[in-house]
Amino acid sequence: MISLAGRDILHGWGKFVLTGVGLGLLIGVTLSMAGVYRGMIDDAQALLDNSGADLWVVQKDTLGPYAEPSSLNQDTERPIRAMAGVDRAAGVTYLTMQIAHEGKDVRVMVVGAEVAEPGEPGQPPHLIAGRRIVQGHYEAVGDVKTGFAIDDEVTVRRNTYRIVGLTSRMVSSGGDPMLFLSLKDAQEAQFEKDADAIVRQRARNASSPLLNPPGNPAVAEAVNAAQASSTNVNAVLVTVVPGADAEEVAATIRRWQRVTVYTRAQMEEILIEKMIANSARQIGMFLVILAIVSAAIVAFIIYTMTIGKIREIAVLKLIGTCNRTIAGMILQQALGLGLIGFAVGKIAATFWAPFFPKYVLLLPADSLRGFFAVMAICALASLLAIHAALKVDPAEAIGG
Amino acid sequence: MAEGIRIDNLVKTYGQGDTAVHALRGVNMSVAKGEVVGLIGPSGSGKSTLLKCLGAVIEPTSGRMTIGDRVIYDDGWKVGDLRALRRDLIGFIFQAPYLIPFLDVTDNVALLPMLAGKPNAVARKEARDLLEALDVAHRAAAMPSQLSGGEQQRVAIARALVNRPPVILADEPTAPLDGVRALAVVDMLNTMARQFDTAIIIVTHDEKIIPTFRRLYNIRDGVTIEELQLEASPARRT
Repeated sequence: MISLAGRDILHGWGKFVLTGVGLGLLIGVTLSMAGVYRGMIDDAQALLDNSGADLWVVQKDTLGPYAEPSSLNQDTERPIRAMAGVDRAAGVTYLTMQIAHEGKDVRVMVVGAEVAEPGEPGQPPHLIAGRRIVQGHYEAVGDVKTGFAIDDEVTVRRNTYRIVGLTSRMVSSGGDPMLFLSLKDAQEAQFEKDADAIVRQRARNASSPLLNPPGNPAVAEAVNAAQASSTNVNAVLVTVVPGADAEEVAATIRRWQRVTVYTRAQMEEILIEKMIANSARQIGMFLVILAIVSAAIVAFIIYTMTIGKIREIAVLKLIGTCNRTIAGMILQQALGLGLIGFAVGKIAATFWAPFFPKYVLLLPADSLRGFFAVMAICALASLLAIHAALKVDPAEAIGG
Repeated sequence: MAEGIRIDNLVKTYGQGDTAVHALRGVNMSVAKGEVVGLIGPSGSGKSTLLKCLGAVIEPTSGRMTIGDRVIYDDGWKVGDLRALRRDLIGFIFQAPYLIPFLDVTDNVALLPMLAGKPNAVARKEARDLLEALDVAHRAAAMPSQLSGGEQQRVAIARALVNRPPVILADEPTAPLDGVRALAVVDMLNTMARQFDTAIIIVTHDEKIIPTFRRLYNIRDGVTIEELQLEASPARRT
């Protein structure tokens, strides 16, 4: 038996392919939306992977440092380093900000990491160009997505930093590329007050007899110095010695320090299930709407195509074609449309994904799921047309 | 001559009670194998209803209908699968050819034997043989839209004949054709009827072809009246 659907498609292939391309672009948008969601998860996981930490020590009862503000004294890391099972511990700061570069604003996450030793938690784990930060001040390493090049100079707050190295896939959970500074520079950028605030604070201190006791100006100077700088960090990143149980080490830190400690699994849960949950739901809604729109379009197209063949269907039924063959013809056309649409959509999504400002991750498994979803939607959408075709009376082929 | 199709006292009533419409009021008709008869009548006389009953498209209310020796209706269908009945025992030719636009000429004809379960190659061979007999084999690979009206009608005739049905029902097959072509189609149907031993019933209003029938059924108010066309020339026509 010949394929009636195939012959019909070949007969009007131009219209069919154009329709498939239109549907494909819609499917491409749907796949891209799924890719955006996957990209957000991947960014979150890359953030955790690239931090090099097994444990995140943050301000007590906060979800910091990525989901909530967290502030700890930098000295917190010292007793932690001495605890059993701890390999390394280092303070880090995170600050998302916009910096100007070559006339454009670049949104970055400024990361302050300890640079005295290579491999400290918080440092970029790999470089694709240049070198790591070796000086205590005014050097920076940027992610390539910042658009910075080696030896570029960038200004963060009041200071200018020279780009000495480039890294890749170092992004915040929001997809902003990272700019690494030494911890001291980053603390200054994050915590140091501007000149006006310092002047006002000093005036307040000077007017306070407690902070500026008569005859002892050294007290006021000491207070001013303490208020003008900060040794706080947002978190202490901890790596455990090989073979140690991260959960046990976390329990030890919780027992001795007034801090909150998260393991990798807990931090992943915070990032994925709390931070991007709303975005995920939003994207999920879009996916549902796009699926409904796709189904409506396929249903309309297949229904229109079927209605345009009512007379032929009546003739086919009159000459003895069974309902199964006619339904099969319509179903195959709907699936054919879905197949073309999916192929076009997949190609389109693959081509335009790199141009998205945020990372779009197209997973083969998602594509496979998308393929089956498209086929299922097309099959469902063809039911209306099949119903219309099966209702056609073969007597319509005979006049009168 | 053996009977191709016979109907006795066929009744078809639409609706019930006061609103009942009696489309057929006991129609009797018999067409021998190899014979071509005409069926004429004014609009609303019941021609189409009769054709639909004969084509097993609608169910008569009562009566009896046989094709060859097989009783297909006797106050109820006597066959389970009406589609198979139409496919295997009845050929249809329509006012317009109604070829399937997305199949080429060969496959338009071969579709029926394929539906009957014959292998594609066998079905196509039968189709080509028939197209040859109808002098349209040179357009075997063409699409219906590339054919002239006369060629399309010949392909439609080939499609009606390809399963060698004992009965062919032709609904105004010459309506869109001019006089010469209309007579050519009737000649062709006469030849095919004899060649394939098929009973052909042609429903027509076409004044040009009415004189060509040796036997003509005139249907009025749902009752057939047989009229003989004695002046029809057997040499030229039937």
